[in-house]
Parts: sequence; structure tokens; C-alpha cells
Amino acid sequence: MASHSHPSYLKIYIMLLVLFVISVAGPEIADIMKLEGATRLILVLITAFGIALVKAYYVLAYFMHLKFEKIYAPYILLSMVALLFVFFFGTATDAMKSEGHNWEKTPIVLPEDKGFDHHDDHGDHSHDDHSGHDH
Amino acid sequence: MADTATATAVDHHDDHGHSESFWSKYIFSTDHKIIGFQYLFTGMAMGLIGGFFSYVFRMHLAFPGSEVPFFGIVSPAAYNSLVTNHGTIMIFWVAMPVLIAALGNFLIPLMIGCDDMVFPRINRLSYQIFLISAIVLIASFFVPQGGFGGAWTAYPPLSSEAEYNGTPFGAPMWLIAVTLEIVAFLLGGINFITTVMNARAKGMKLYDIPMVVWMIVIASILFMASVGPLVAGAVMLLFDQTLGTGFFDPAAGGDPVLWQHLFWFFGHPEVYVVLLPAMGVVIEIICTFARKKLFGYKMILYSSVGLGILSFFVWAHHQFISGVDPRATYLFTTTTLLISIPVALMLFAMIGTLWGGSIRFTTAMLFALSFIAEFLIGGVTGIWLGSSGTDIYLHDTYFVLAHFHYTFVPIAIIGTFSALYYWFPKMFGRKLNEFWGKIHFWGTIIPFNGIFLPLFILGAAGQHRRIAGYTAYPDLYTENFQDLRVFATGSLIVLILFQIPFFVNFIVSLKRGQKAGPNPWNANTLEWVAPSPPPHGNFGDDLPQVYRGPYEFSVEGREEDYWPQNEPDPGPSETSK
Repeated sequence: MASHSHPSYLKIYIMLLVLFVISVAGPEIADIMKLEGATRLILVLITAFGIALVKAYYVLAYFMHLKFEKIYAPYILLSMVALLFVFFFGTATDAMKSEGHNWEKTPIVLPEDKGFDHHDDHGDHSHDDHSGHDH
Repeated sequence: MADTATATAVDHHDDHGHSESFWSKYIFSTDHKIIGFQYLFTGMAMGLIGGFFSYVFRMHLAFPGSEVPFFGIVSPAAYNSLVTNHGTIMIFWVAMPVLIAALGNFLIPLMIGCDDMVFPRINRLSYQIFLISAIVLIASFFVPQGGFGGAWTAYPPLSSEAEYNGTPFGAPMWLIAVTLEIVAFLLGGINFITTVMNARAKGMKLYDIPMVVWMIVIASILFMASVGPLVAGAVMLLFDQTLGTGFFDPAAGGDPVLWQHLFWFFGHPEVYVVLLPAMGVVIEIICTFARKKLFGYKMILYSSVGLGILSFFVWAHHQFISGVDPRATYLFTTTTLLISIPVALMLFAMIGTLWGGSIRFTTAMLFALSFIAEFLIGGVTGIWLGSSGTDIYLHDTYFVLAHFHYTFVPIAIIGTFSALYYWFPKMFGRKLNEFWGKIHFWGTIIPFNGIFLPLFILGAAGQHRRIAGYTAYPDLYTENFQDLRVFATGSLIVLILFQIPFFVNFIVSLKRGQKAGPNPWNANTLEWVAPSPPPHGNFGDDLPQVYRGPYEFSVEGREEDYWPQNEPDPGPSETSK
């Protein structure tokens, strides 16, 4: 592994800077040209997010040396990214679903709506009792 | 590779002087064996604390209201703190350091035939962070209101609000200790993976790596992949406790179930993080003492990889009654039942290895065999808990508790003891006494079943694990149930008393045990090539070379029934397959 030749880090840095300029310029151009709808979406997605992915690849491959590691190291990293999606997938039903067969998601009740102030009339300790029982 | 090799060589050159002090040799050492011992002894000391906690709250449950010897009256707050810290200590400060860190550090360089870890200083840093985490945890018992009392799973709002858990100082310290401990094991895990991938002996292919090393590597990868959410969640919970944020507080727009997802996304793979090294230990011991080649090396390897992958798809089976989407429970029930397939394959492979072998019942072998039997009970009782229907009834009862003790005790206690009895000659150059070892074995296994079999019955009858005393529940404070509790507590005390012979045996054998040669068990793997105990640098100037797999026992046409990995093949005329 010690025999590999390093690429010019300066070259990659300059390339990343150029890509950065493009990714900033893309949404700006969309604004200046007053693009709307699908064209705007595609342009912004490609220039901002698409270029960001390319930049991330170069940082990982060269600055984090993944291109010169044994093949298992990038695979481990990729599997971590895959697990991120597993986690999102597993929690999606909780996060995105607001009604079900046997239960309902009650709207968030803020403390002031619960009428705690009303209980305060009876003294401080009754306030504590009720906040312990109300969910 | 070349860089790291020279770096370690330089290290060795520096350390080789014989004038080194106690501090540089045993406390600030970069030698993988010394770091392994540091982890081992810290883990054993923490195990004594965790065991003492279990004694206190079991005594309290058996004889509610009476004074517990060496502790005093157990208040409900103290009970919460004791069960929380018993769980935390036994998993994070006993099972992990002993099974992964101590065995991994001691065995990996020896078994793959290199002189040290590839990052010796990161290794030392790993132990130092671990030691700090243990100190933080122990310190948390002495702050006002005592150690954290929000259960080891730390579900908010119980864990996030000091007025609920009653431990305003213990809770943040607990979180900090757990986070530090995880950082320590991440450093160790990176070291294990890198060492095994880059520093194997000449000729050792991937399928020649001993199973225990594979298992520790897979466990380290699982650990790396799963702790991210937990550390993120721990920091969020710390902010909830101390800064007044509301990540897990519905009143502030947060969601307490999010913590459960973050925790169990780590927590379930964690079970396999500690299970796999114990499986590896048992496999090594069974092969050596059955004098037989491992049945299905590749099958075990692939099923443990499959187990690792599947373990990331099952976490919500801990949350069936926490208000997760009912449709998600179908999915998680299915994956949970699927995960029993790779585990069963591995257990069958162990039993298949025994078939037709010439078995030697040494203490290490007895512990290894009992691992299979006891872990099977733990695995089978898990089926009811993995099915969402039955879990609604059994959740948070003593049935759950008995189930996971039937998995964790075989892993952390039985697995560790079998490893200690097996590798003690390599660690210290002397054998443990076999007679006292067998007494210790029976004195551990029988009371262990005596503790947890009654708890299955109590759990099925509805006893809830988080309730400090049953005197207020006349339905469950009947004489029958109380007798079972007293029986479980009595068994626990017997089990603790039978650990005394082990500790005496351990200390006496260090000085006076029967001297062991380099290979007292006639085993094949590379650690038995090095002298016992191995010197600094393990193998001297000539690192061993590997010619075959680790389990070539009872090969036909050979005089001895073992064939060390480093022994060159005889002439072509004699080669046997």
C-alpha cells in the first residue's frame, strides 16, 4: 500500500472549488432567469444536490483515502449509508402516519392548553400532582 | 502496511528495555496483551459491583422491608438505581470489555500471528477512555440522590425529567459514562478490523482465520454500524436533561418513541455484538476438545454475517407496546422470527462438530457445552417475545427478564469462564486447577437455572419487572409466588458463593498452578505456537507462517490428532486431504 502514488491534492482542491461555484451558481441562475416548476426543480437539484454528491465522492475518495484503502473499507462505509436508510424506513411508519386501525394520533397539547393554571388555584403541590398524571 | 509495520517495530524497540517501571509496563503499556489484561481485570471488578447490586435487589424482593446485609433498607428510589446500574454495568462494563476488548486484544494478534495491534497507541487510548467511563459511572453512585434510576434503556420522559427519575445528577453522569464507553469501544473496534485485515501471518487466507477472530471482527463492524444513533440520541437526551431542549418531550414538539428507536437500533445489534465473540470462543473450545474439524466453517461464517445484517431489521420488537405503528409490528415480527435461523444454524454446527468426536470434558469444555444448552433456552423463549401478539402480554414482565438473562448469562458469564479456563495457560503460563474448576462449573450452572426458571413462572403470572415491592399487590404477594422469589434469591446467593472458589483458584493458580507448556491442550491455532505467557512481541523474530486452516484435528494418516497451522506440509507422498 505504501507504493501508491498520491494524486495532486491541490488539483482536487481546485476542482472542488470549481464544483462549489457551479453548485452556488445553479440556484442563482434559476432565480435570475425566473424559472418555475419542473425546469427550476431539475436545475436546482442537479446543480445543488447532484454536484454535492460529486464533491462528496471526491472528498471521500481522495482526502479520506478510501480510493487507496483495501476494498473492504469503502464497503463498510457504504453499508453504514444503507443502514441509515433502514433506520429511516423503520421509523417512517411512526413519523409519517397520523391515523391507524386501532389507534389515533392525538394532536400535541401544549402545557398552557391543559389548564395547569386552573389547578394552581389549589396551591403548588396540587400542580405537581396533576402534571405527574396528565400525559 | 509497511508504514504501520515500521511504526510498531519502532514501538517495540523503544519498549524492549528491561528497566521499565511498573507504570510503563502495566499501566501505560501499548502491548496488546497488557491492554487485554487491563480490560479483563477492570471488567471483572465491575462484574463484582454489578453482581452485588443484583444481590441487593433480589434480597429486597424476597424479603421486602427487611434490612439487606451489607446494604440496609432498599428504598424504591434505591431499587430503581440498583436495577438500572446492574443492567448497565453488566452489559457495557462487563460483557463488552471482557468478551470483545479483553479477548480481542489478547487473542487477535496472537491468533493471526503478528507482533501487536496495528495501532498500539490508539489501543492504549481506548482503554484509558474506558477507564474514565467506568470512573464516571462509579462516581455517579455517590452524587446527591444517587446513581441514575431511569432503567438501563433510559426511556424518556422517565430519563429526561429529574422529577420523574429522582436523580438529577446521576442521570447526566450515566449518559456521559455510556457515551465515553462507546467511544472507547469504537477505537478498539477500528483497531481489531484493521489488524485482522492487514497484519495476518504469511499464508493466512481469509478462510484460515480462527472463528473467534472472525466473530470479534464481525461484532466490531456491527458495533461501528449501530452506535451512531445511540450516541446522537444520548447527546439529545443529555440536552433534554440539562439544557431544557425537548427532543423527546411531546409538550415541546418532540417524540419519546424516537428515543426508543434510536436506542434499540443500537440495542438489538448490541446483543449480537456480545453474542458473536462468545460463539467464537465456544467454537474454538468445542473443536479442540472434541478433537474434530469444525463442522461447516463457511456456513458458520456466512450465517454470522447474515445474522449481523438481519440484526439491523428487528429493533422495533422491543417496542411493540410503545405505540409504534401496528403495521410495522408485522414486519418486525417476521424479521425477528427469521433471525433464529442463522443462530440455530450456528448452534447445530456446534452440535455437529461434537458428533463422532472424542470429547474431553475439561472445565472449559463443560462451560462451552453448557453455553449451547442454556443459550438454547434463551433463544427459544424469545420466540414468544418476538411475536407481537404474545409480547403484548409478556412485555416488561419477569418473563422478558428471565429470557434475556438466559441469553446474556451464557454469553457474558459462561462464555467468559470457558474462555478463561481455556486461555488461562496462555495468559499466565499456568493452568487453572481442574478439580476446583469443575466445582465452580456445577456451582454456577445449577443455581443459574435456579434463579431464572422461577422467574419465567412469575413473569407469566404477571409480575412486572420495574416494581420495587409486591407487598402492595395482594394478588401477586401470595405465598406461592413469594416462595418462588425466595427460591430465586437463594439460588443467586449460592451462585455468588460458588464464585469464591473461582477467585481463589484464579489467584492461587497465578503463582502455584501447574506449569503449562506452549500448547497444553494440543490445539492448532497460532497463539499456541508462542511461549506461555507470550513475551513482548509474541513470537520473537520469526513470525509464524500458516499452511492450513485452524481446525485440522484427527487428520487421517497423521500420528498426532492435531496439526498446527504453522507446521509445514510433509512431502507430497504423505499429503492427506
